Amino acid sequence: MGTLFEVLTEHFDELGPGFWVTVRLVGASFAIALVVGTLVAALRIAPSKWLQRLGGMYVETFRNIPLLVLLFISYAGLRRAGVPINNWVAGIGSLGLYTAAYVAEVLRSGVFAVSKGQVEAGLSLGFSHPDVLRRIVLPQAFRTVIAPLGSITIAMIKNSAIVGVSLLTLPDLLKEARIVQARTFQTTETFFWAAVGYLLLTAGATIAFRLLERRFAIRR
Amino acid sequence: MGYLFDPANWEWLFTGNNARFILEGLLVNIQIALIAMAFSLAAGLGLALARLSRMRWLVFVTGLWIDLWRNLPLIFVILYLALALPEPWRDAYEDAAPDLLPDVLQTGRVFAALLALTLYNSAVLAEIMRAGIQSLDRGQHDAAAALGLSYWQRMRLVILPQGLRRMVPATVSQLITLHKDTTLVSIIAIQEVMRHGRIVTGFNFFGGVQAPVLQVFIFIGLLFIITNLGLSRLSRRLEIREQQRSGTTVKPISGLEDQVATAQTR
Repeated sequence: MGTLFEVLTEHFDELGPGFWVTVRLVGASFAIALVVGTLVAALRIAPSKWLQRLGGMYVETFRNIPLLVLLFISYAGLRRAGVPINNWVAGIGSLGLYTAAYVAEVLRSGVFAVSKGQVEAGLSLGFSHPDVLRRIVLPQAFRTVIAPLGSITIAMIKNSAIVGVSLLTLPDLLKEARIVQARTFQTTETFFWAAVGYLLLTAGATIAFRLLERRFAIRR
Repeated sequence: MGYLFDPANWEWLFTGNNARFILEGLLVNIQIALIAMAFSLAAGLGLALARLSRMRWLVFVTGLWIDLWRNLPLIFVILYLALALPEPWRDAYEDAAPDLLPDVLQTGRVFAALLALTLYNSAVLAEIMRAGIQSLDRGQHDAAAALGLSYWQRMRLVILPQGLRRMVPATVSQLITLHKDTTLVSIIAIQEVMRHGRIVTGFNFFGGVQAPVLQVFIFIGLLFIITNLGLSRLSRRLEIREQQRSGTTVKPISGLEDQVATAQTR
């Protein structure tokens, strides 16, 4: 037990910043996922067949491709092609765009839960289609899908660990744990603290979304 | 865009055995996914039944177990097991692995990968199965008990056939996730599609043809999209056939990636 805490105190200046990198990575990717996911969901319910198909293609592409492949394409691939992309942009972009596909799917299901009468009422009051979406449909859709959005966020926190161990060399929590492990060979102790870090994040997200749900959710 | 579609940058695909080499890598991924899925389904069913049992302590312990493995990043588990599993275990796996497996899958490292994939996916599947079983009307259970069936008979003849049918869509979407997740085992140096892709881009200059990273991994991505779309098409077909056969619409338990909609049952 003694060594367990020694590992934490001795290597806190590596594991601590690693945890912070993971937090920033997750936060920025979540913002991108929400924005892009909302746009894609809007495409999928747009009044034009072509826009719907475009949104569908986005979802099918990003949902069926492994995140690791996406990271290879966006970092190693684009760099070799001469695009000067840095590891943060590639990491946040990949994780965000990947998660956006799931957000779009969930939001779409939330949109279908809003009754059609409301859309027709909005349109007949003279709102334009985007206005109906923005002011009437989406606010309600978001409030019905808080629980699944929480699960997506938890999955994203876990997926963020892939970013650090791929080619990107972002010094996130898992990467730092690996560096400490390689130097000290205290595998179980080091990984124990990394696990604590990830479980803190997923537990925090679970609690945050449960509070949001209690405050805002529409029960149907 | 010009760079992306420049035929010179796609020449590698038709040169030597590059395409075949990458497809062979993908086959390893598919095999790992199928083996891990078989183990996960069995272990997941056990966990789900344990979590629904009447013994309080068993429910508590399996609940902790499931939540632990479900909430840790899979790549974390893979790395940890690859580093921490005792040597004799790996040797035991190498001895025990049946010869009909391809050579890649007989190395000791694969044991860590399969164990990690099974620990994670069995926890996720257990929650899907639990949701499926709990979504059944309680009357089913009571009626079966009233007919004098024992616990195992009730499960085998009444509860599981209905409950498991509802979880087919969620299970297939988990299989898709698992198929994607098999790329993670490249981190512990198992020779699968990602490694093969890197080999093709790394030192492959057959006849002066260079394989650019971007195009190689776009090709690999396309392979995953094709196989996964095939899987989801298959699941839809199964669902429709099931509906036609039984004449009822089955209310599916929805599952998104590894998020199980347990909220519905709680």
